[in-house]
Amino acid sequence: MNNNIFELNNVHLSYLGRHPALCGVDMTIGSGEKIAIIGANGTGKSTLLHLLDGLVFPHQGQVKAFGQVLNEEFLRDEENSRAFRRKVGLVLQNADIQLFCPTVREDIAFGPLHLGFEQDEVQQRLKRASASLGVEHLLDRVPYQLSVGEKRKVAIASVLAIEPEVIILDEPTAGLDPATIRQVIDLILEANQRGKTIIMATHDLHLVEAVADKVYVFSQEKKIVRSGAMEEILYDMTFLQEHNLIHAHNHQHHHQVHSHPHQHFGHRHE
Amino acid sequence: MIRTSSLRNGSFIERSLLAAVSFIKEATLFEEYASRQGFMQGLAPGIKILTIFLLILTAVILKDLALIGLLYGLCLALALFSEIPITFFLLRTLIFIPLFSLFIAIPAIFSSVSPGQVLRQIHIFGITGMITSQGCQSAALLVARITTTVSLAVLVSLTTKHAELLKSLRHFGVPQIFVMTVSMCYRYLYLFAVMVENICGAIKSRVGIVIPHKRGQKFVAWNIANIWSRTNQMSEEVYRAMLSRGYTGEPRSLQRIKKNE
Repeated sequence: MNNNIFELNNVHLSYLGRHPALCGVDMTIGSGEKIAIIGANGTGKSTLLHLLDGLVFPHQGQVKAFGQVLNEEFLRDEENSRAFRRKVGLVLQNADIQLFCPTVREDIAFGPLHLGFEQDEVQQRLKRASASLGVEHLLDRVPYQLSVGEKRKVAIASVLAIEPEVIILDEPTAGLDPATIRQVIDLILEANQRGKTIIMATHDLHLVEAVADKVYVFSQEKKIVRSGAMEEILYDMTFLQEHNLIHAHNHQHHHQVHSHPHQHFGHRHE
Repeated sequence: MIRTSSLRNGSFIERSLLAAVSFIKEATLFEEYASRQGFMQGLAPGIKILTIFLLILTAVILKDLALIGLLYGLCLALALFSEIPITFFLLRTLIFIPLFSLFIAIPAIFSSVSPGQVLRQIHIFGITGMITSQGCQSAALLVARITTTVSLAVLVSLTTKHAELLKSLRHFGVPQIFVMTVSMCYRYLYLFAVMVENICGAIKSRVGIVIPHKRGQKFVAWNIANIWSRTNQMSEEVYRAMLSRGYTGEPRSLQRIKKNE
């Protein structure tokens, strides 16, 4: 039985027909996997996540989700759209974009409400999602009055309330303090243990190490330059440095300058 | 305070921009009194709006100055029971009165608008005007009505959270899509106010306080275009965020089971 959730075949996408964002991406994501998409700025990571969430569509190639071709025509059908959105949730990089309702309560309830769940069920999901992120005390607050960390937690809660099979996260730990980062990591792992598929784009290699079991690396050419097991990619210092994911660090010992790759994950500091 | 110093030291354009930004931020963030445990805050927003609307209607219909005065007294008492400092409330309301009434009330005192018993004759720039008793009465009635209605409107906005205020409009048949659009505008207005403030700070940090007039104009023009473009981009992103969570063009609202849940 085919256990694949997403299948991308030679996907090309460009903005306004002249700014390429993805150039020939092939990818297969199976159910229950923990995928990290890494790459320097402007390599097409966020575009790929939007593509997987059916918000943008390829100009060439094909995206299949749950065995169906994912295109505008498929999502134009209300039943298809509802079924797909119930299964796939996207946490955006900018929480200010994600939180557009007047209160945190309404923002968390927005997804379940618009996906056709009954009011009682919406209330239950609101309760569960806010409790899992510890944001119950923020429910009646206005989103723009929250701190960066609180906004991010509420943004995650707003997607968890949908209880999707696939959770897509765009830079989930950017700008967060260490304690909140740990909380987000635990939450992602917990969701995965409950069978959720995790797909995240990040620059945070600590997060990749803590969460992912498979890594896709995007290059400036807007395509996958390498994919493989987390350990295989993360401990290849030369490769990471070549693709701007770690940097050379110069320092001085007794009038002699040393240079080595700078990274802190994996308890290695060469 | 950064805001105060920049308001004092900046150019005219900067001062105006920052004052506008400061007003928007204050207007969108100011929920201090709405969070207090006063009389008006304890009322359900729908009932509160309906009551205030009826009181405003009464103030408009009443023709007796004493009765309108009584209504204004009631409004002040409500403000007092709602833990709003009276001086703050008076400042907040009375500041609008001269603006609203000056151009309407003053012409009404003259015989050309309100004919009747002449009280006094005045000459301004070679024009003779006659102030009538009936004119003075209707001007006083007009000012009293404006003062009372503005005070009642300010009272309801001060004692109700903006989100609840907008939501309660649904009880009066205002379409959900309208309420949703207004609340989203309100929410993003604050973000753009912050953006404008940051742009001003960024310009100042690079070019200093004194910007030549011509260059200042260029900065403003460029930033208007920049903010317009960012607004456009953001609206597209917000729409995608809505689509991603199941929005299909038909807004739905959450029903609150219990207020304190």
